[in-house]
Parts: sequence; structure tokens; C-alpha cells
Amino acid sequence: MKIGVFICHCGENIGRTVDCARVSKAAGFFPNVVHSVDYKYMCSDPGQNIIKQAIKDLQLDGVVVGSCSPHMHEKTFRKAVADAGVNPFLCEIANLREHVSWVHDDMDVATDKAIDLVRFAVEKVKRNAPLKTIQVPVTKRTLVIGGGISGIQAALDVANAGYEVVLVEKEPSIGGHMSQLSETFPTLDCSQCILTPRMVEVYQHPKIKLLTYSEVEKVEGFIGNFKVTIRKKARKVDDTKCTGCGDCMQKCPIKKKALSEFDENLTTRSAIYVPFPQAVPNIPVIDTEVCTYFKNGKCSMCKKVCGRDAIFFEQEDQMLTEEIGAIIVATGYKLYTIDKKPKNSEIKGYGEYGYGKYKDVIDGLQFERIASASGPTSGEFKRPSDGKEPKKIVFIQCVGSRDESKGFSYCSKICCMYTAKHAMLYKHKVHDGEAYVFYMDIRSGGKMYDEFVRRAIEEDGVKYIRGRVSRIYEENGKYIVKGEDTLAGVPVEIDADMVVLATAMIAQPEASKLAQTIGIPYDKYGYFVEVHPKLRPVESSSGGIFLAGACHSPRDIPDSVAMASAAAAKAMVLFGSDMLEREPTIALVNENLCAGCFYCKKVCAYNAIEVKQIFDRQGNFVKEVAYVNSGLCQGCGTCNATCPSKSIELIGYTDEQIYAEIAALM
Amino acid sequence: MDDIKTVAKELLTSGKVNAVIGYIRYGNDKRTKPFIAQKPEDVDKFVINNFILNNLAVYLTRKEVSKLGKVAVIAKGCDAKAITALIQENQIKKEDIHVIGINCNGVTKDFDIDFNSENIAGKCLNCDVRTPKLCDSLVGALADIPSGEDLKLKMIRGVEAKNAEERWDYFEDEFNKCIKCYACRQACPLCYCEQCIVDKSIPRWIESSATKRGNFSWNLIRAFHLAGRCIGCNECERACPMDIPLSLLNRKMAMIAKDEFNYDAGTDMNAPTLVGSYDLKDNEDFIE
Repeated sequence: MKIGVFICHCGENIGRTVDCARVSKAAGFFPNVVHSVDYKYMCSDPGQNIIKQAIKDLQLDGVVVGSCSPHMHEKTFRKAVADAGVNPFLCEIANLREHVSWVHDDMDVATDKAIDLVRFAVEKVKRNAPLKTIQVPVTKRTLVIGGGISGIQAALDVANAGYEVVLVEKEPSIGGHMSQLSETFPTLDCSQCILTPRMVEVYQHPKIKLLTYSEVEKVEGFIGNFKVTIRKKARKVDDTKCTGCGDCMQKCPIKKKALSEFDENLTTRSAIYVPFPQAVPNIPVIDTEVCTYFKNGKCSMCKKVCGRDAIFFEQEDQMLTEEIGAIIVATGYKLYTIDKKPKNSEIKGYGEYGYGKYKDVIDGLQFERIASASGPTSGEFKRPSDGKEPKKIVFIQCVGSRDESKGFSYCSKICCMYTAKHAMLYKHKVHDGEAYVFYMDIRSGGKMYDEFVRRAIEEDGVKYIRGRVSRIYEENGKYIVKGEDTLAGVPVEIDADMVVLATAMIAQPEASKLAQTIGIPYDKYGYFVEVHPKLRPVESSSGGIFLAGACHSPRDIPDSVAMASAAAAKAMVLFGSDMLEREPTIALVNENLCAGCFYCKKVCAYNAIEVKQIFDRQGNFVKEVAYVNSGLCQGCGTCNATCPSKSIELIGYTDEQIYAEIAALM
Repeated sequence: MDDIKTVAKELLTSGKVNAVIGYIRYGNDKRTKPFIAQKPEDVDKFVINNFILNNLAVYLTRKEVSKLGKVAVIAKGCDAKAITALIQENQIKKEDIHVIGINCNGVTKDFDIDFNSENIAGKCLNCDVRTPKLCDSLVGALADIPSGEDLKLKMIRGVEAKNAEERWDYFEDEFNKCIKCYACRQACPLCYCEQCIVDKSIPRWIESSATKRGNFSWNLIRAFHLAGRCIGCNECERACPMDIPLSLLNRKMAMIAKDEFNYDAGTDMNAPTLVGSYDLKDNEDFIE
């Protein structure tokens, strides 16, 4: 074998800490290495040409590139090698950046380590075999999880490109948080007015299959070939018969017991309900927790009044399976609104603000409902406790955000803007009212965003106070807000009629569970994680699973919509070809040695191990052994590590190759 | 309670099984050996006493036995745990075997010695399966058994008290005695691999000669391969001609499995195995 070694400086990234010339010189003396050079940017066009030219001139049949991580540029170099006529799997990467230059200071030591890693890769490449990629077909259907604005946008984009979409929403209606909002910054256009037409478009789209009140139960398979199990929860209403006339809701005797989720618990709803009048689909569900029929069987008023005989008390959850090629996760966020410290949580909470104790201390979404024309007060400013118009409102920003000691260390990003909007909306309707905002910093980066905040301050006279609030308590019907003006250096006390807390955006409480179900990583807050923060911001590290909206990080509507369209584009890129190329580095069972304990099957995260029966020539059953489904295997090697007798190997990473690598380091 | 001979004979004459694996007297009366009875008259030689040391479950995965078809096997409580574990790990099917459980009154540490409070096997002292959990028939009657001191537990506590370096030295000394005869592996009912990792030659992960390095890696890897699987029959230690206290490792691992994951190997054939399953509630604080 004739091996060429190519050492990249990665600009200064490697070159600053590693003496690349010395590495290349040392590698030249390794057995089988016939050529060894270093170059400033090996991934660049001229850099790749150095490799290609050397392959041609010296008839190299093995290549080692000492560069950044294989994650970054293995594909690039393998392609270059393939272009020059050598099997791409005869190219190996020695990671001299993440494993050496970025983690060491001492040049001599780093260079020695780099030489070792190159030797290690040379030993591997000597034992590499030419491999062929596996071709698998692509199912050109997309699953969108979450029917908020992000999910709606992604679904519409993919569907409008002509591909089928399955949109799964766990609530009875699509629309998400955006449907709860009054007006949207920075233009103050009505949220419902811009959203509801898109909801209807989703409902009527011939390419979109809408599954509301449904949840993703299980995801099997891999990019281009997912098999998704969806639980369609029992509405107790037959959606094929219901016309959405609403008679059942009007006649339902339970009116007061259930709090309206859509109105953020400010109003009540019936036991059979649609979350809001513009719900899509306009088909009610029965809340079996409060419904009298489900408690003691004594009421069936809805069934009696339904002209279509659509009430179906015996209905049970249905399991549907869908063949899917790409998944877009758009499960959104929740507002952090705890009044006291939850059990077993590191979050300390803000008991001193009296949320949950004082009716007029509300959060941002509750304020949205009060300000909304479709809300409990029809858009008139009336406070929850006594319905009186508040003459003085205090808004507190960063409740939970940017607070490592009591909340979360991140910035929720949207609160500066929506608080300015809240104060503005209030001042527009209550001209003699006073609005105070306690803030830490104003973060209003974005098109027309800072202008918007300036307008609130300068034109609408909202009073901004830089400082934190220490305590809120009730005194003579007023809420005394005690805080500090850190610019003036004086304590402040405001007797407010109402207080609005801009509480942090947090991940959905079940986000981590969903992440485990579909197999994508999440951070310590429960937000889903992208592959690369800059270059691949909408892709999860699991192939074919993309992220959109606030399930990834706090973001506003324009950002969410942009991300959703980006995720849709990524799904469509996948659908651009009929066959997908998969790496041939998958597991292979030695059927002679396999004892059939199936520990490999137990640990396989991809359900890629099957049971195969072995028969002798006479057709007598001999034994059961493990069998690898090459379509499902991702080549993670867990089976390989688990097998007690080492009867299952990873092609391209065989024990022999790994052993040679280790030996090269010792 | 039925007599072993009656039960075994009935199973063979009725054709329910093709063979019964049991114990017969061998040499003096303080010694037995395993015996595979294929004819009803063979079972007349069967004995049950305090010297039935072998764990007969080890034969169930042997090709010579599995080709006999359905077999019955005599099992003490600990042996039945091994059978449970083998079913759990897909090595045998419950319907292919008939377990004749025995109400066990303890066994000796080794052959040729009297059964008394000094010689009772350590595993019998705190036994919670004197009546096997898994059995299709049950023979014998429970009687009082001698009590004694759990010397092995004392040794485990002694090793625990050592620091890492002392522990290393201790095991290095013990493993140095190893002659690589693999009797431990042969006696172990859960060492059923077609080819043991120690016999793998490309690459050779474990040096097969009886050197310090080879001995260390063999004994440690065998212990690791039994983590969460060892049912504590202690046959490996009894089989060891060099008296290496193998149970120190195996039993300590079983104690960890119990403490950290509340897992008892060989108690439930339908339970997910400890290795190869996980639960979000699994204790993780030992990961550093």
C-alpha cells in the first residue's frame, strides 16, 4: 500500500500550536507512507488539488489527512480522494485541531501528539478495505410536530412544494401561542387576523393531513424512512360527523368548573369545548376530567342535543402509523409562571412577586388575553380581581430570564419587545393611565425593533426604570411594588393597580421526553439542539429531523417563521433525490460465533438487530443468531462494544483496525 | 413431598422428557457427580444430599444435551436462578426443559468434607431461595440448616477498606496464581459463548498465556462479563484449582447491581436484563 499524508494548518488554528512541517516530516518515515506534505488550507480548492495530484502522480492507494475533525471535513476529503479515483473509504482523518491544537498550549508536546495521531490514522488506513455506499429509497412525506405558527409555516411550505405533510398537534386546535396574542410587534397588526387565514389554509390543503389532539408516540427508522406511530387521542366526538355547530357547548351544564386554557385561566369553559371560536378544526373535545358523564354517567346533554349524533362517549385513543421521510419538530414553548419553588427543582421561583396569590399580578400571556378583542374583557383593560380599569400598571421584565440564581441564565429575547408593546397598547386605550417598566437592559435588536421601544418611551410616555423589583405586596387595594432605580441610585415604590410579569420562555415540559422518543439531543433547559450553531442551525444531529421555532430557543414570530421555512427547505432538499446514500460502515454479525444472547438487540437504539434462524443443510434448526438490518443500522457500534464474544463487528471500524490504532499509540 | 426417583421416573416413562440430569453418588458418600439418565431404571441411582455441589444448569446449553430434546434438570434454588437467567438471555426456552426443584438444605464447601457449620458453603448461609422460584416439580423437604460465619462477606469488606493501590496489589497477587485452565469458565452456567473472547485471535484482546497481564485481563474481563448476570452459585470459585477468590468480584458486582439498580440476577425470566436496558430513573451519580 502506498499512503500519502497531508497535514493541514487550518490557517492558524492548527499551525499556531502544532509544528505542521515537523509532523509532515515525521510521517514521511512511517512504513508505507510514500508522500507527506503540509499546506495552509488543505480543504480549499488548491489544497484538495494537492491531494488529487499526489494520488495521480504517485499512484497512492491510501490517504491520511491531518486536519480538523472528521465531523467537519471527512466528507470533503473523501470526495476529493474519490474524484482522484481512489475508494473514499481509504481516506482517514487525524483530528489535529479539536484533539490537539485547540486543547494544548505547548507546541512540542502538541506536535508529538499530532505525530502520534497521524501514525494512528496510517495504521488504520493500512487495514481499510474499499467500501461501497448503501442506497436507500426516500419517502417523500414530512411529519411536522406542533401546529403553532412555526409548524403551520413549515407544513404550508412543504405542502406548497407538492409534498405530502402530516401535521400533528397535541391540543384540540392548531394556532399555538400566536392565536392567543392581541397585537404583534413591531407593526401592531392583529395576531388572529394574520394567523387564522393560514390555519384555514392548512386545514383545506389537499397535501396536508391534519391530526389535532394527537401526539407522537414512537419514531422508528431513519432519515428518509421513518415509521411514526401517532396517538390520536379520543375527542369523544366523531370528527367525521360533527359540523361544529356548537349546540353541545351551549347546552353543556358545566360552565364554571373548567378553566379556559386558551384564556390562560382568566375565564371558564364548558366540559365539551373548542379552545376558541376560530379553532381549526372547529370540532369540540370532551374534557373527561370534568364532564359529568365521565364522572358518574348522569349527564349526556351534549349527546341529546347533537343533531348529527356525533357525540361518541365510547371513543378510544387510536394508533396511526405513518411512513415519513423527514420530521420537522416545532413544539414551541411555555411561559414560566411559577409562584413558588416547585418540588425537586433547582428553580427557586419568585414567591415575593405574589404571582398566584394576587389576582392582579399576571403574566405576559394573560395580559395578551386581556388586551385581545377576543379575550375575556373584549379588549377593554379590566383587572382580573374586580373588573376595574387599572390606572397604574407596572411591568417587570426578566422574571426568570437572565437570572442564574433563581431562574434561567438565558435571555428570553422577546420580552423587551412585548413589554414595550403591552405598555403601548395600554396607553393607547387608557390615556390617563400610567405604565412603568422595570428593566435590566433593553434588548431590541431587529428590524424596526428599537424604533418601536423608543416610540413607547417617547411618544406614548411609558416610564422605564432600570432596576429590579424586590417585593410586591398588597396594601389598601393597591399593589406596592418595591424596587430600585439603579440609574438614579434610589429606591422606588409604586402603588400599582396591576402588575405584569414578563416571565421567561421555557421549553415545553415534555420536550425532553419527546426528544428521547424521536432521538434528538436537548440542552439542560429542554431546548432541542442543532448540529452546528452557525452553519446548520435548523438541523438536529439526527439525520432527517429538523427544528423550527421556539422549541429550539426563545424566539419571536418573524424568527420562528424564518426558521420554519428553513426547516421546510431542508426537508425538500432531502426530497430532491429518489435514493439516499448511506455510509457502509454498519455492523456485521459473525454467524458462526454468535451465541444468540441478543444483548446487541437490547442495546440497539435503532431496532436494527433482528433474530435470524440458522438451519443446517438437511433443514434442521441449528440456532438463532443476530442479524443486522442494513437499512436501519447507523453504525454507532454499541452492539460491537456490548457483544461479550466480539461476534459482531463494525465494517470500517473492525476490532482489528481499532486494535492497530491503539497499538500505534503505545 | 414427592421423592426424586418417583418424579424422574414418571417424567421418563411418560415420555415427557428424554433425559433427566441429576446427581449420583461417586466414590465415597461425601461426593457426587452429575449424571444424565435417559432410561427410567437409571434414576434409581439418583441422590439428593448435602454434597450435590455441581450447578447442572451448565449442561443445558451444551450441544450434547440440547440435541436430546426436552430434558428435565434437578435444580437447587441457586441453580434455578441460572436457568432463569439462561431463559432471560435466550439460551434455552422454558418449554424445552422441566425443572425439578429441590427444597435445599445447604451444601458443603467442597467434596470429601463433612457437612457442618464450619463447612457449609458461604452461599447457603443467607440463602433466600432454598425453595427454588422456578420449578415445574418440587422434591424433598426443608430442614434446619447449620449457621456459620459469612467469611466471604468479611473478605469483601476487607477489600473495600483498602485503597485503590492496595486493592490492585491484592488482586494482582491473587490473579498471579491463575494457570489459565479456564475451569471457571467451564463451570459457569452463564459462560455459554460459542467462542470466548479470550479465544479470539484477530485481534487478541486478552493475552492467553498465564502472564501477569494476561491473567489480570482475563479475570477482570470475565468478572465484567458477569456484571449483573452472576447468580452467585459460586461454581467458578469451587472449580478453581488455584483457589482464587473469584466470588469477591462477582459477589461485589451483584451487591452493586442490587444497591444501585435494585436488580437481582436470575429472579425473573421476563425482566429486562440489567446490562442492555436502561431507565431514566437509573442512578447515575456514580459516574464521575
